[in-house]
Amino acid sequence: MGLNLRRVLIVASIPGSLFAIAIFITLVAPRLLANTWHPAPKEPIAFDHSVHVQQVGLDCTFCHRNTATGGAIGGMTAGIPDVQQCMFCHSAVATSSVGAPGFKMDSAQAQAEIDKVRHAWQQQRAIDWERVHRLPDHVRFTHEPHIQAGFDCATCHGDVGSVGQVVQVRSLNMGDCVGCHRANAALTECATCHK
Amino acid sequence: MANEQQGAAPGRVIAGGESLHRWGMVIDIDLCTGCQACVIACQAENNIPINVEDYFVKHRVNQWIRIERYWEGEFPNVKARFIPVLCQHCGNAPCEPVCPVYATQHSTEGLNVQTYNRCVGTRYCGNNCPYTVRVFNWDAPQWPESLHAQLNPDVTVRTQGLIEKCSMCVHRINRAKREESRNGRPMADGDLQPACAQSCPTSAIIFGDWKDQNSRISRLAKGTRAYHMLEELGTEPTIVYLKKVDPNLSQHEATVSHKTAYRPLPVING
Ligand code: HEC
Ligand code: HEC
Ligand code: HEC
Ligand code: HEC
Ligand code: HEC
Repeated sequence: MGLNLRRVLIVASIPGSLFAIAIFITLVAPRLLANTWHPAPKEPIAFDHSVHVQQVGLDCTFCHRNTATGGAIGGMTAGIPDVQQCMFCHSAVATSSVGAPGFKMDSAQAQAEIDKVRHAWQQQRAIDWERVHRLPDHVRFTHEPHIQAGFDCATCHGDVGSVGQVVQVRSLNMGDCVGCHRANAALTECATCHK
Repeated sequence: MANEQQGAAPGRVIAGGESLHRWGMVIDIDLCTGCQACVIACQAENNIPINVEDYFVKHRVNQWIRIERYWEGEFPNVKARFIPVLCQHCGNAPCEPVCPVYATQHSTEGLNVQTYNRCVGTRYCGNNCPYTVRVFNWDAPQWPESLHAQLNPDVTVRTQGLIEKCSMCVHRINRAKREESRNGRPMADGDLQPACAQSCPTSAIIFGDWKDQNSRISRLAKGTRAYHMLEELGTEPTIVYLKKVDPNLSQHEATVSHKTAYRPLPVING
């Protein structure tokens, strides 16, 4: 009898644990994953922020023009510069200083990447940058009030100026947003962030 | 991370839980010609899918503002009456307490806001709304290819199976407030208009702030024509209607035939 009972228990524990695993995969795991952010996508051109911010000394808003002003139409995006703006320099700038400290690519590689920019310009074609950050469609986020309130880019994006490829460093989920809004007595009503 | 905790002083502090605005509207029935421009403007502004014939047949029309049409008199002496009906953004909203997931709430600025991503589509709110202005979207929204680029990015596209409704163009309000703090100049009465008011050819729909005693709506609502729709329900709408001026009706008739509807307004609490 004792043996039988043990057997019954063992046999029953198999579907039981399968059930538990299924519950974990369907209910718990997505929640755990939801708090992490997406891996950095593969960009069409190996654009290096550290070269442009640290070596060239450009300001973030030189390229991401709408962050501080909301843009001419008060739009929502920070804005990624168009090819024309790259060609401002890259019609002339090639890879002369490669090899100097701070440049990660060798000259052939860098030349190939810059050629992609020039090629896009010759073809009058936009570069299909992959987005790193993307809030769901039902969320309204504008940079302008945050920059006005005195936060710098690094508060939310980390030290972009010294990285090669941009990755998301902050969860920027609802708890994150609301947490900071509470701490700063900013609005926490649903209609502030949801549309 | 340095100013993570301090930040600078936020622009618009809500003093003691009281906000600076209480948005509202005045709709002058006398000026409404029933042209439906507001309906179309709302449709375009708020990414409402096109209502095809089938929806009308099934009584599933998705309109956040509708024109109700009434006939008065016998043929050939008939008159058409039009009343634009939209969410009244009730101060005492019947829809709000019945939502089991708190998807519909009252904003501090007097708006009844629907958080679509929170809504699970129980439809209790729609059933409890005496104005029937909450719409359940039965079908996944669809637009012809040619209209995809006209969708308004400030308004989310609602997925199938939830309740949607007039937001009094809260995205325009948010944007106007942004511009306000950018320009450092308070917006003037009339600077900000929802799509319906903006498109109304006779300016029958007037949007404004009840807290501004001198705003157009505050002044208009003091007149004798002002009434709340279904006043007797005690929903405290934020929208005030101005009744029709009818030269053929004597003063006596006017008061008798529309006794409940045209009762003078109680003072709108600021
Ligand atoms: C103000 C001038 C300026 C602008 C604007 C500019 N760049 Fe550059 N870029 C440079 C300089 C300088 C270098 C370093 C070139 C070298 O190797 O000497 C560089 C290097 C690069 C490289 C080579 C990568 C590396 O690690 O060396 C790429 C790719 C590149 N830029 C892409 C872009 C793109 C895409 C844009 C537009 C969004 C852009 N650049 C805008 C000045 C500019
Ligand atoms: C030369 C122009 C240029 C400058 C200067 C520049 N960026 Fe960028 N930035 C780009 C381009 C092009 C992309 C798109 C490619 C990518 O994601 O790496 C980008 C992408 C980003 C992204 C990711 C956007 C996404 O897809 O979600 C962030 C965040 C960002 N930049 C922040 C900054 C910050 C912060 C600074 C200042 C320290 C800065 N950028 C300076 C051109 C620039
Ligand atoms: C309060 C946090 C916060 C701060 C501060 C901030 N960002 Fe962002 N940024 C975000 C969020 C959230 C997104 C995603 C927006 C979306 O998906 O709509 C984003 C997206 C971006 C993007 C890509 C998408 C777009 O909107 O075009 C760029 C580029 C960017 N930020 C640059 C900057 C720069 C440059 C600064 C500093 C001037 C800055 N950000 C400051 C939170 C922040
Ligand atoms: C680091 C702190 C911080 C984080 C993180 C943050 N915010 Fe904010 N946000 C603020 C502050 C402070 C204000 C108030 C600015 C003001 O009122 O001028 C604000 C204002 C806003 C506004 C403007 C409200 C209005 O109508 O003027 C919106 C929208 C907003 N935040 C959305 C978001 C969203 C969405 C996120 C998350 C992705 C987010 N914020 C993350 C600090 C933050
Ligand atoms: C400060 C900004 C902010 C405020 C205020 C805010 N939310 Fe959110 N909410 C967000 C962001 C950002 C997300 C998206 C998080 C993500 O996907 O990573 C979100 C996501 C959600 C989701 C999940 C949607 C989904 O499909 O996953 C729900 C539900 C939600 N919010 C409801 C509410 C309600 C109800 C309120 C008002 C009580 C509210 N939110 C107020 C920023 C905010």
